[in-house]
Amino acid sequence: MFWHNFKYSILTLIKNKSLIFWTFAFPIIMATFFNMAFSDIEKNEQLDIIPIAVVGLDSKNDTNFYKEVLEELSDEKDEDRLFDLKSVDIDEAKRMLENDEIDAYIDFSNEIDLNIKNSGINETIIKFTLEQIKENNTIIETVIASKMASGNYENYNEIQSLYESIIDEVTKLRTSNGLIEDVSRANMSYTMIEYYTLIAMACLYGGMLSMFSINKTLANMSNQGKRTTIAPIKKSTLITSSALSSYLISLIGLLLLFLYTVVILKIDYGSNILLIILLSCIGSFAGLAIGISISTLLKTNENTKIGILISITMFMCFLSGMMGITMKYIVDKNIPILNKINPANMITDGFYSLYYYDTYSRYILNITSLIVFSIVLLGISIYSLRRQKYDSI
Amino acid sequence: MTVFKAFLKVLKANILLVIIYTVILIFFAAFNMKTENYQMSFSATKPDIYIINDDKSELSNSLEKYMKDNSNIVELKDDEEVIDDAIFYRDINYFVRIPKNFESDFLLEKNPKIEIKSTGDYNASLAEMILNKYLSVASSYKNIFEHDDYIYKIEATLKDDIKINLTSSLNKDELSSISFFYNFANYSILAGSVFVICIVITSFKKETIKKRTIISSMNYKKFNRELIISCGLFAAILWLIYVILSILFTGKSMFSIHGLFYILNSLLFTITSLTIAFLIGNTINNKDAISGLVNVIALGSSFLCGAFVPIEFLPKSVITIAHILPSFYYIDTNNYLATLENFNLNSLKPIILNSFILLFFIALFIVTTNIITNKKRKLD
Repeated sequence: MFWHNFKYSILTLIKNKSLIFWTFAFPIIMATFFNMAFSDIEKNEQLDIIPIAVVGLDSKNDTNFYKEVLEELSDEKDEDRLFDLKSVDIDEAKRMLENDEIDAYIDFSNEIDLNIKNSGINETIIKFTLEQIKENNTIIETVIASKMASGNYENYNEIQSLYESIIDEVTKLRTSNGLIEDVSRANMSYTMIEYYTLIAMACLYGGMLSMFSINKTLANMSNQGKRTTIAPIKKSTLITSSALSSYLISLIGLLLLFLYTVVILKIDYGSNILLIILLSCIGSFAGLAIGISISTLLKTNENTKIGILISITMFMCFLSGMMGITMKYIVDKNIPILNKINPANMITDGFYSLYYYDTYSRYILNITSLIVFSIVLLGISIYSLRRQKYDSI
Repeated sequence: MTVFKAFLKVLKANILLVIIYTVILIFFAAFNMKTENYQMSFSATKPDIYIINDDKSELSNSLEKYMKDNSNIVELKDDEEVIDDAIFYRDINYFVRIPKNFESDFLLEKNPKIEIKSTGDYNASLAEMILNKYLSVASSYKNIFEHDDYIYKIEATLKDDIKINLTSSLNKDELSSISFFYNFANYSILAGSVFVICIVITSFKKETIKKRTIISSMNYKKFNRELIISCGLFAAILWLIYVILSILFTGKSMFSIHGLFYILNSLLFTITSLTIAFLIGNTINNKDAISGLVNVIALGSSFLCGAFVPIEFLPKSVITIAHILPSFYYIDTNNYLATLENFNLNSLKPIILNSFILLFFIALFIVTTNIITNKKRKLD
């Protein structure tokens, strides 16, 4: 009887188009949209080459220093160059700034004047660079003055070589001083969180499948349920086989989503495949538990149950960062308890910990909470299903 | 009125979803639109950093102070996981830890290492520039000044600044937050109006209801007219609510010629959504398919046209595809308005063009709907 019910509940699930759309197709469509919208977002966060213009740079001798440094920073052979530099006259510079062809122009004809249109990151960087050039000039003058005062430099060549060595040293210090050690973690792509919440959503949407098949065995939900309930079969056999069939279908859906995101969208889930599979199976199990508990605990019609399941799932995904990655962080930081009991976040956080951290303690914590969460929900459902009797329906 | 009453009944049953779309809009607007006070002078961008000073020497204190003056300090717990999370979610762009004995090791040429963690984005580059600036001055002066003079000289050199002229007078921050609101409204208007109107139209198309309407004494033209007016009224109310919301969120800057254009543009888009709703409602018979279709259309055009993610962050290929969707032209006008400084025929050209394209879409959807319903009627 177990396999009989198992087979037919799989068939009814697969033939329900709208269920299959929400559990199979919808996550894949969402993943495609995410990929289209987010694929360039992190590239744009890196510093672009900033277009600037200079006016009257050749007219004066004491601006030579600026000229050299600015030209060095705009060297076209250098891939990491900071600026794209154009030397133009004042009217042309004004026109270019007006038409957003450049972010700023620097006027050297009187004092050093930085002309910009808005306050922004590029403008800040230009300002910082110019200040740094000015400071280097001050440093060189100060250092030379103090060296001259302490030593005996009479020979012109000696002074000249001292001058050059100091310029060299200061210029070298500007780019690297060997005092900074970068200890950032390697995997920094935060848009991955979006895909993790999507997996969480797909796991929890699996609840729709289990809800649908459990409803079929409940006498108060459908005529089919009435007939099944009066059949001389153990209820536990029916419920487990229905639940198992929906679990199988939701795992297949999840597998398709994984294949699609890994093979076509090239999403990085970290390197430990076994742990990823374990997390998705347990996450899907949590979805199953939610579906079963909603279908057994609430005594209303099927559409309301589906509505409740979808809105709860969407709200949990929202808290775990689906509609804006910062949301997850804000909840984690300010109301941690909310995300500690949120299965969508346990799944998302589990993937995040595999991707970002190289230790497993956080992952294990997430897995354990998911298991506890599912067992509690299933326990309550089983308790309420036992010895259920109807006087009239 | 019969049709209108029936319309209200169906609307009442589905009002929850409309409320959800609106709440999402309000939430996002409140979340993303902290309008900063606009200044007529230059204000430097400041990266968000967290700095731990384990040394507490004069030099490290001076470095800490310099970093604090040039960036926004975010207070966190000194815990590796907390800091790592903050970096990953971009709560801070840069983390700096000045080690113990930094000053003495530094002066004795022992090469102490300052630990940093960085997000690698442009704010992090800026933070690194600030840190490097201090360190390079400190290194240059190391062997030249006596200790008493040393820190004073570093700080004096770092005070050098240059003159800045700001030429634009347009308050772009405020306008871009209005654009953000209206761009996001693309999703709420589209999802809200298309969903409700489709549900209503398909409800009226249910076999038994359809038969009852046909045998009733009501003229089918009157029936259609009432239905169209009710749907239009609903869309207009939805639009009005969003306009009021936008005024609540952005305040008096909506009462300007810019604001007027934003409002008119959203009206045009609401009408477009209305015709899309008619098209879908008259093509689809299956009520279950509606929520799936509406989600795909609303989310799809919002993602592809830059309602959620600003259009300059989208890949070029996506933007090319987006040109076939009406949302693109609506959002394009919003973005253009945010940069528009003076209104004349020449500067309004792109807006006029976009509006004509939206009008074309409206005509296209109406004609297609008519063709489809005509064919269906003949089939019946």
